[in-house]
Amino acid sequence: MNDILKAIVGPELAGDVVNIIIILLKTAAVIAVGLLHVAFATYFERKVMAHMQVRLGPREVGPLGLFQPFADGIKLFFKEDIIPQNADKPLFYLAPVIFFASALTSLSVLPFFDGFVVGNINIGLLFLFAMSSLGAYGIVLSGWSSNSKYAFLGGLRSASQVISYEISMGLSLVGVMMMAGSFNLSDIVRAQNHYPLGIFAVPQFLGFFVFVVAAFAETNRLPFDLPEAESELVAGYFTEYSGFRFAMFFLGEYTGMLVMSSIAALCFLGGWALPAFVTANLPGFLAKALGLFCFLIKVYAFMFLYYWVRSTLPRYRYDQLMAIGWKLLIPLALGNIVITGLAKMWFKGLL
Amino acid sequence: MKSGNLIRKVFFVEILKGLAFTLKTMLFTKPVTRRYPKVKVPALPGFRGLHALAKNEEGKIKCVGCGLCGAYCPSKCIYIYTSEGEDHAKVVDRYEIDVLRCVFCGFCVEACPFGAITLSEHYEYSNYKREDFYMTKDKLLGNWDKYFAGPKGERYFKDFWQPKSENFTGGQDQAMFSKVKVKEKK
Repeated sequence: MNDILKAIVGPELAGDVVNIIIILLKTAAVIAVGLLHVAFATYFERKVMAHMQVRLGPREVGPLGLFQPFADGIKLFFKEDIIPQNADKPLFYLAPVIFFASALTSLSVLPFFDGFVVGNINIGLLFLFAMSSLGAYGIVLSGWSSNSKYAFLGGLRSASQVISYEISMGLSLVGVMMMAGSFNLSDIVRAQNHYPLGIFAVPQFLGFFVFVVAAFAETNRLPFDLPEAESELVAGYFTEYSGFRFAMFFLGEYTGMLVMSSIAALCFLGGWALPAFVTANLPGFLAKALGLFCFLIKVYAFMFLYYWVRSTLPRYRYDQLMAIGWKLLIPLALGNIVITGLAKMWFKGLL
Repeated sequence: MKSGNLIRKVFFVEILKGLAFTLKTMLFTKPVTRRYPKVKVPALPGFRGLHALAKNEEGKIKCVGCGLCGAYCPSKCIYIYTSEGEDHAKVVDRYEIDVLRCVFCGFCVEACPFGAITLSEHYEYSNYKREDFYMTKDKLLGNWDKYFAGPKGERYFKDFWQPKSENFTGGQDQAMFSKVKVKEKK
């Protein structure tokens, strides 16, 4: 393989080409597997919520209804694509793409198991914040371009909500960064592995709490789903979207949830890391598979929390949402940073 | 603010209670969903479904064409046409019910002295054309064969739609509900 490449592109470029091919394969794998997880996250949600509401959930398509996500997807892609007459067409086309692309791009910096990450960049966490803020542009633009008052209100609400909660979310992870001493997600997981308790959720319980609440708001899920608010705004920012454009918003939202769950699993719950006495005697491949399994369990536990809260809590009022964001979460996150800094200064050996 | 209230607010006691409730529901409560087309709900005793015209032991129509059912019918959806046959006997030429106008009150069954018109337990008769819901005499007699064949239909007919001509001893009770036996739960 290497010889053939060297013959084609020359000896200097061969290594780069191999790297690019590997990255492309990794990207394809991450997108395919990620979207499959997203598809079954919808199934998982419908099942969990149905049983919490004493219903059965989907069970007609395929065994136990497992093919329901594919049936939904096929339906969405064959639906008529309607564009409002006075919509701002370029923005209308662009908005779901921005939303979906930013959600998918976030997947690229997540390490799923030891050593498997598409882009192992040293500002992983900052990149994730940037992408989740970019996703908000998709929402705001879709609300603006739809030329519909419901979509417009949804977009406005989303803009203010995301701006408020992004601050507390960023601040909540500062404690983790201080303890790990790195922005790189793999390094954060390794730092947790060296830490006596194994996970950062224990010393950073304040940060974890702030992060969980902010993650709900960031992904526009209940109890902070004011941008979509079905009972007041029809469907919020994507009211005017149909067909595969709607599917993009839908997939983007669930990918966003998956990304947030992954951040929680990686930064607070120890990611793929297992105790040394478990992995020491295992062959490398098995240890990695076990690590991936461990990571997925944590991600799905967090996803379950999303659904659990959704089927339990009603929507917050707009002023309550803002009060929680500015008066509760930001002071808590700031306090957490101060405490972490002081602890790090005083107990150098421990942290 | 009292200290108890403060603790409740700080630790989100109410929200945790709610979460515990939904989790309990998910784990321990059986779903109430009826998987309708696959698992059908049996009709309760005395259910008033699709009409049928009763046949006697010889397989002939019981109806004598007196017209009481049509007279009682509040939605006036029963049409009876009779003529004089051999030996001056009354012959029912046409007996038609517009099911789409019927309100399933069961007055026709109560009115009938011979137990000739009945309401079966059958309730799934959706169709594509309005004409299919216009029940002619032949269709109604066919319904009797379909839904009152066998001991189940016989028992149902005897328990709920007993004609007055066979049992005048009803006394204060209405004749139709003289021997109600509630089905045991399965």
